[in-house]
Amino acid sequence: MKKYLGPLSKDNPILVQTLGVCSALAVTAQLKPAVVMALSVTVVCAFSNLIISLIRNTIPPRIRIIVQLLIVSFWVVLVDLLLQAYFYEISKLLSVFVGLIITNCIIMGRLEAFALSHKPWPSFMDGVMNGVGYGLVLVVVAFFRELLGSGTLWNHQVIPKALYQIGYLNNGLMILPPMALILVGVMIWIRGSRVDR
Amino acid sequence: MPDIFNIFIRSVFIDNMVFAYFLGMCSYLAVSKSVKTAGGLGLAVCFVLAVTVPVNYLIDKYLLQPGALAWLGEGFADVDLSFLSLIIFIAVIAGMVQLLEMVIERHMPALYMALGIFLPLIAVNCAILGGSLFMQERNFPTVIHSFSYAIGSGLGWLLAITSMAAIRERLKYANIPEPLRGNGIAYIITGLMGLGFMAFLGF
Amino acid sequence: MRKFSNTYIYVYVSALVLLISVVLASVSIGLRPKRDANVTREKYQQILKAAGYKDISKKNVVSFFQEIAEPEMGNEPSEQYRIRCADGNSGIVVRVNGKGLWGPIWGYVVLSEDGTTIKGVSFAHKSETPGLGAKITDDEFSNAFIGKKLYNQNGAFTSVRVIKKGQEGDIREENRVDAISGATITSRGVDEMMRGVKRD
Repeated sequence: MKKYLGPLSKDNPILVQTLGVCSALAVTAQLKPAVVMALSVTVVCAFSNLIISLIRNTIPPRIRIIVQLLIVSFWVVLVDLLLQAYFYEISKLLSVFVGLIITNCIIMGRLEAFALSHKPWPSFMDGVMNGVGYGLVLVVVAFFRELLGSGTLWNHQVIPKALYQIGYLNNGLMILPPMALILVGVMIWIRGSRVDR
Repeated sequence: MPDIFNIFIRSVFIDNMVFAYFLGMCSYLAVSKSVKTAGGLGLAVCFVLAVTVPVNYLIDKYLLQPGALAWLGEGFADVDLSFLSLIIFIAVIAGMVQLLEMVIERHMPALYMALGIFLPLIAVNCAILGGSLFMQERNFPTVIHSFSYAIGSGLGWLLAITSMAAIRERLKYANIPEPLRGNGIAYIITGLMGLGFMAFLGF
Repeated sequence: MRKFSNTYIYVYVSALVLLISVVLASVSIGLRPKRDANVTREKYQQILKAAGYKDISKKNVVSFFQEIAEPEMGNEPSEQYRIRCADGNSGIVVRVNGKGLWGPIWGYVVLSEDGTTIKGVSFAHKSETPGLGAKITDDEFSNAFIGKKLYNQNGAFTSVRVIKKGQEGDIREENRVDAISGATITSRGVDEMMRGVKRD
């Protein structure tokens, strides 16, 4: 089990390998879309890894990128259709960012580096763990942005009304997109100062 | 005409791919260490966006949208292929990048030398697919609008990555806390630049 | 490394593409009714919001709507409904369509029975900028429309204008609301859209 835990911190895709930031940060203004995004990426990553690993010996190397793109986009479209049917409001919030999972470098990176050369079960686990490591960062960033920016968590008011009456204000800056980047920078900083270099 | 210009300016400064939507961040962070290579990649992104977005626009408009197949005859008016758009877009992008690489190598060796190594990287750059997806979401009225949007976004990306590279070149001489060096500070700087770009919004 | 012939590559890719499209097409068709139901429910929810109902749980939206509203003319899906508002009076729901900065914007306006006063509005958009144009969906903006008049002091139809602070001119308070600062084009879109408000 231990060998799969790397992506959570030591090899965290966002904090250490700086992969997959693209589609991630735009959805972290609130906790709910961030969690759904994290789940979607985990599902896509795990199942693409599984499929590619199952068929890895039949893929002609010359066209492997195309095959990978096809498999990934298959899962992404599937996830997108399911979201539209069962989580309509959230799918509207995520809009094009679900589609952008296709070009999420984490997924292509794991396919290329792991699934092409490993057995199905380890590949599946590798996909899950990378998705979770990615999701962890997303959720932490979204937690602080929603709490400080809107005073809510999961759309429920958590900062008591009394605080507003004595002059507390939501930090509007947190809602703006650039704050997501600054928060990730701070997370890298904290992580970096705790880990031996 | 003013519309087209408006879209162009907005997509360079206000809806900047990097600062407002974080698209293409992976290569943005990886390749922004020197101004020269950053400029090369920026140009390549610009170029590929300018080709793929209008092509995808036409495909979307005449093949994929609900009712887009109406030109084939009455019976096709109800067909909705929009669920295929993601796959088709990414296929067009991958194909176009391959094609461009071959054409440029053959006919413009100088440009190929400048862009060469970056072109294959671009197929999986989120900014490119993002360009096509935003184009689809924003429903541009004509192909010229989508072209102006593509060029604007490309230039916005070029602007972002070259200025980032310029800052990082100077950063070598700054005394940054050890754990923050490298990517940590790069994220924070991008965030600060993004805040600066928000000034273009006008309040 | 195994060698793969060209024929193998072509067959491989074609089979893969075929398989993927068949699976996706069937999933898409299978989930279609569910998706359409979501779209309808969202429309009803928006109309209920304009009519002043704030907390209707998602499950009850459709049945509640069908209980208090009926299409003005023809059958579903209709663009105009007669509805019993939250304050007990009946009103007319009119759909309006417009163009924002990046894409379509639309909304439902509830008018008083005589068609002169706005009882409530709710707007929606496809892709306006969050924090700016997207504010047209906020309660703060839509509440400003409540009680506004569609006709001016001379009885001429002016609709409710959306105008920047400081540029009101001689338009009465009852005939205008403040534009969203920083979102000029979206506000202008709402302004133009509101001119189409009229009982058929």
